[in-house]
Amino acid sequence: MNGGSDSRNLLATRLLNALGPHAVKVSREDRAAYSYDASNDEALPAAVVIPADTRETCIAVRIANACGEPIIARGAGTGLCGGAVPIRGGLVISFSRMNRLLSLDVANRRARVQPGLVNLALSQATLPDGLFFGPDPSSQKISTLGGNTSTNAGGPHALSYGSMNAHVLGLEFVDEDGEVRQASLDDPGYDLVGIQVGAEGTLGILTAIELRLLRVPPAVRVAIAAFPDVESASAAVSEIIASGIIPTALEIMDRVITQAVEAHYHTGFPTDAGAVLLIEIAGLPDDVAAFESTIGLLIHRYGALSWRVASDASERAALWASRKNAAAAVGRLAPNYYIQDATVPRTKLPQAMRTVGEIARTYRLPVGNVFHAGDGNLHPLLLFDRRLQRQVDAVHAAGTEILQACIELGGTISGEHGIGFEKRESLTYVFSPEDLAAMGRLREALDPARMFNPDKIFPSGASCGEVRPNLGFTAKPEAGNTWI
Amino acid sequence: MDIDVHDPRAYALDTLLPEHVHTPATVHQLADLIRAHKERRDTIVFFGNGSLQGIGNLPTRYNTAISLHHLHALIAHEPADLTIAVQAGMTIADFDQRLARQRQFVPLDAPYPQYSTIGGVLASGWLSPRRAAYGRSREFLIGVSAVLNDGTVASAGGMVVKSSTGYDLGKLYVGSLGTLGAIVRANFKTLPRPQVARLFVAPLPEGSAARVVPVLADLPIEPTLCLRISGFENDIDVRPGLEGRIAVMLEGTKSTVERATRDLRSALGLAGVPDTSIFEGADLSRAFAQILTAYVAPVGNRSLTVRSLGLPTTVFQRAALLRETAKQYHFIPEEIIDMRTGDAIVRLVAADPPSLAQEAANALATMRSVIREAPPTVIAGGAGIRHSLDAWGDPPNALDKMRAIKSQFDPTGIFAPGRFVGGL
Repeated sequence: MNGGSDSRNLLATRLLNALGPHAVKVSREDRAAYSYDASNDEALPAAVVIPADTRETCIAVRIANACGEPIIARGAGTGLCGGAVPIRGGLVISFSRMNRLLSLDVANRRARVQPGLVNLALSQATLPDGLFFGPDPSSQKISTLGGNTSTNAGGPHALSYGSMNAHVLGLEFVDEDGEVRQASLDDPGYDLVGIQVGAEGTLGILTAIELRLLRVPPAVRVAIAAFPDVESASAAVSEIIASGIIPTALEIMDRVITQAVEAHYHTGFPTDAGAVLLIEIAGLPDDVAAFESTIGLLIHRYGALSWRVASDASERAALWASRKNAAAAVGRLAPNYYIQDATVPRTKLPQAMRTVGEIARTYRLPVGNVFHAGDGNLHPLLLFDRRLQRQVDAVHAAGTEILQACIELGGTISGEHGIGFEKRESLTYVFSPEDLAAMGRLREALDPARMFNPDKIFPSGASCGEVRPNLGFTAKPEAGNTWI
Repeated sequence: MDIDVHDPRAYALDTLLPEHVHTPATVHQLADLIRAHKERRDTIVFFGNGSLQGIGNLPTRYNTAISLHHLHALIAHEPADLTIAVQAGMTIADFDQRLARQRQFVPLDAPYPQYSTIGGVLASGWLSPRRAAYGRSREFLIGVSAVLNDGTVASAGGMVVKSSTGYDLGKLYVGSLGTLGAIVRANFKTLPRPQVARLFVAPLPEGSAARVVPVLADLPIEPTLCLRISGFENDIDVRPGLEGRIAVMLEGTKSTVERATRDLRSALGLAGVPDTSIFEGADLSRAFAQILTAYVAPVGNRSLTVRSLGLPTTVFQRAALLRETAKQYHFIPEEIIDMRTGDAIVRLVAADPPSLAQEAANALATMRSVIREAPPTVIAGGAGIRHSLDAWGDPPNALDKMRAIKSQFDPTGIFAPGRFVGGL
């Protein structure tokens, strides 16, 4: 693979001849726009194709294959682990033009979409029929369903609705030969749908996705509870779940985050509390009312300082908007921040949060925590200044220690962002060589030439060539374009 | 269904008997066995207790049956984390009881729960009729370990309820019929049991079915199970009416289920359905198990059960096509129509074994030609004739990709060769 500048020139020429300049971008300026995602890794692709349909995608794949160039699928570029960065150049296929809702089957609660359709746009299109799409990563206003599928994205509501792998019913994908393949959960045979979800574009290029839709619940409540600290809020979360109630979302923000959010959005989060727990319950009106009173009692037993239920839909929307834009708000606290994504068993949350605090103190790094507490999915944000090499080193070391601490608590190194480029070396903390070899068998079966998104997920000793990782981990310099 | 675990006859697949039977006591022993078979190129069919072995084709070679029933340990149950890890040989009944003690459940909903095992239910890809409400078994499986053809034990996933870490190999093993390796450990996320679960089974008098179906779509809560069952008189205790029976499960909070119960009973009364049996607790478990077992229960050696998976809006139409085709070939059809999932299950019962042998393959071929969008597959029965039937029908679009997967995981073809679709 990667035949050098001759093959890159050949790639560009052949793509232009086959698909025309409206679909193929080869100028350095154009390619630069596809050289990064929401991580800080950067590498220039040799060419970019923006296909109009599956047929053009197939042509692009065949040409890249013939030229020996790798192929990297790209949605909206909101990934936090470098999953869409063309580490060793090659062809980036951007799905910004394949963004249609192909069909909506209200009676059977299904939708077929192109991979470039924005997550939120699907729910907006289906709400008039009383349906919505469950997974709602905080990036949902911009991230695409193709990217969501490839990372097995979740979001706050994964707690009750599940991550993408519970919602993808079928797929169309383009294989290494540029042939179109169909897969459905109802087909006999191996589950080619399930293995593509979360495969981060390493097993083929998705060109259509069949998705399950949910009925809009008749009643919804959103409440916020203030706690003296993150540990007590985390303990309350475990108790709510243990009581047999699964709210639709249970989100925690610590004081660092609530203060940043409040300064930015003025939603009314209590800024003097150590932590705020955001709770959403949905269902039938009577059930929601009963759950609300049960949860109200439980959280006070666990030290809640206050409890407020949003009075109407606009207040609920404001609370959610603040939560989903929390990372962006943190941009005002420090020049840079580093977002980690790890999962621990839910009851280990208090311990995990203590450990995160200790690690941050050891490295003298401010830390903010905003996370999907119901799932045990942590997102610590380590704040630093990238101009200070000492802090950069500290963040790198602290990030690794946090992952290791989560693994020691029985957890794993990604709940919803994927492994991408940045965490691939850490995969060996979680899986044995035998485990990785079994995954390698699957890769070998579907991508023997390693042309689909190489250098992602799996550790590799291969040279990174032209890659220019700024830090080797996520470090956002600016606010406004990161979601967790 | 008492099983002598060392008797090869307990591992008969239709007329095929294994030459050897092994019942390893540890995963290590299982790995050694698999390694030895690989070296000799002897073929293996993995068994739990055999209750779902009616799914799929007969293997082209059958040297050894390996039963995993000794590997039945509870590995970990963390009720507060809503997770459980078990070995693959644990029975569904044992699994359900352990979870029930903590007021939890995982809706695997397998036939013969006293016998069917976790590994068997996963490997067979058994589909719960409650999956429209709760999800498929694959979605509850958060971690898995399998012994592969070289004897290595490889894991994927973990004990957390949310992960995007490496390939989700559990999805690959679920439904693979033991053709890729032996599942030895399964980690699940669990659900809290609803406050109340009620199963309603009611005979449908003549002319009532058309009035009842709309009622079921209009309850305050969606039923988690919603079946119309025709036939199966000896399998399910509640006697049928002239138009069969309905089976509906309502689950939720006490007040909601109470209200839905009142609405359902009143609507059924207005629709001309006078008697409804209501089951709760242990009675519900027994009655539900009867219904689930009917899906795969054979009628002696003169029945064949097929299943068409499709959209809920087409299920009545598909069931009618299956039924009419069965009659055309002189079978007595019995059917389960799942209004929530869209599954249509039809058991074709022949007058005698020779008439099953004469017409089953033709009936199956006709069914597949008239329901092209959701062709039926064989899930049970066909004793004595399975060698002449293709349980799967036309292979899917990506069969070559599946072959590539098979050749990576089982290059010497020792795991149940020919069992799966397209001869996998």
